[in-house]
Amino acid sequence: MGNISIKLFGKNLRNPVFNASGTLGYGIEIEPLWGVETLGAYVTKGLSIKPHHGNPTPRVWEERHGMINSIGLQNVGVDRFFDAYFPFFKRKKTPIIVNFFGFTEDEYIACAEKIKPDRFIVALEMNLSCPNIKAGGISFGKEPDMVFDIVKKVKAVTEIPLFAKLTPEVKNIVDIARAACEAGADGLTLINTMPAAGFDVKKKNIPLKGGLSGPVLKPIALRAVHECSKAVPVPIIGVGGIMDAMDAISFFMAGARAIQIGTATFVDPYAIPKIIKGVADYLDANGHKKIDDIAGIANNV
Amino acid sequence: MDDIEGKILSNRSIAPGHCLLRIRLSRPMGVVRPGQFVMMKVPDGGVFLRRPFSIYDYQKGVLTIMYKVVGKGTEQLSKAPEDTPILTLGPLGRWFTVSRRNIPIVVAGGIGFAGVYALVKKLQGKASIFFGCSTSDEVALLKDAVPFHPFVATLDGSYGFKGNVIQLLKIHLNGLKGKNVEIFTCGPDNMVKSLRGLIEPHRIPCQVLLEERMACGMGLCFGCVKKTMDAQEPYKRVCKEGPVFDLWEISL
Repeated sequence: MGNISIKLFGKNLRNPVFNASGTLGYGIEIEPLWGVETLGAYVTKGLSIKPHHGNPTPRVWEERHGMINSIGLQNVGVDRFFDAYFPFFKRKKTPIIVNFFGFTEDEYIACAEKIKPDRFIVALEMNLSCPNIKAGGISFGKEPDMVFDIVKKVKAVTEIPLFAKLTPEVKNIVDIARAACEAGADGLTLINTMPAAGFDVKKKNIPLKGGLSGPVLKPIALRAVHECSKAVPVPIIGVGGIMDAMDAISFFMAGARAIQIGTATFVDPYAIPKIIKGVADYLDANGHKKIDDIAGIANNV
Repeated sequence: MDDIEGKILSNRSIAPGHCLLRIRLSRPMGVVRPGQFVMMKVPDGGVFLRRPFSIYDYQKGVLTIMYKVVGKGTEQLSKAPEDTPILTLGPLGRWFTVSRRNIPIVVAGGIGFAGVYALVKKLQGKASIFFGCSTSDEVALLKDAVPFHPFVATLDGSYGFKGNVIQLLKIHLNGLKGKNVEIFTCGPDNMVKSLRGLIEPHRIPCQVLLEERMACGMGLCFGCVKKTMDAQEPYKRVCKEGPVFDLWEISL
């Protein structure tokens, strides 16, 4: 397998393939099949300043080419993550990206402040799809002004590089991407799940409203990655419906510096190691020495 | 635990809307304990996610699943013919633990029997088995448990005791007063709730196998939780912390 390592914010990563936040538990759960050291970096489950219980069931619903989830950001809280789980990643010499969220600006800031720089932390990833309770529940990531504001405030309290993870449920994602970068975001993660509803015809009801993920999301994510990569100078992590190595390659060509795999792991628990190998094999087979050789090479027709 | 390729040996109806599926695995699944389950990639037909199934039986590389046709996944599965390749991730989840001190009682409702049969088999006749269902049609699910002389209740009275299985258990429990009894159960929510109501005054130990809609089956997604009495972390994953729980820790 060829060398597919990348450098991100001065840190050398084995490969450009990460898990999407919330789709690989706390990392330890996958150990019986393969280890987190397989990943370029492990992206934590979304962490909040206090533990958060999440939503009642049902939490998942299947669609033909995807799934809808409404987990509700259940997590043990930032303190317990660093006490109970972070030592595991250090032992495994696996760098992490810390995904975090809040329901108020203060919660975002408090959470970011808590996380101290460490050689095993590559970056923070702030989830901007959360509802802002003070603004009547509208998500932090929907308006450029709100994004600018929250990113600037979080950036002011941390020395760790900061990724802003954007929601696709916006009028123009390029405007949001620019606002995040102007506020100081060091990178963007594109995209989060898309708001959707499941429907049970037998019961004549809507059992679940939540975020849509899976292959159905890929074209939306690819467009966001491609357009934003032309508009902003920061690294972009592409995420949304990547099911195999060719999907991954298309994200690199569209302008992603790294990618995240989410729903694919539920369909095939070995999806991530297969994609890592597939990406390396593709580079070898096509005479490329590194990922950068194919980064952003997609042409508009 | 592993993700193992296999081929369908047989897949046949054993009662209206209920099937028995046997799969020959290409390599051993490891130690399988009563109450554990597998996540199965249902062949073809636009079924996106895997589906969880209790391990009914596993021996000599042959995995047996008993299932009820309830939705798109099980409907597709029921149409899969012999020799169809199938992927099975397992064994998964926490299992029933049996104490030698207690007299075991197994209580199952309908297809819930699929979740407790491996335990019934392991206990080799030491357990009293209570099975409840709607009509005599479903009694066919008990074919492998017949040597253990199960007590049967049907709601319409077409076989055995007329009424629900908890009413039948109540009669039996009266004769066991003062003895150390432990109950193992799997069945519809209403059955588990009425079982809880029956045994709550006596605080009889009870392990319950729960079912929930799942995506990953291995604790990755937190999609399959049940609410528990734990104030710190009320939502526990059915796939990881379960599917077998202490009934008294569950919030029904």
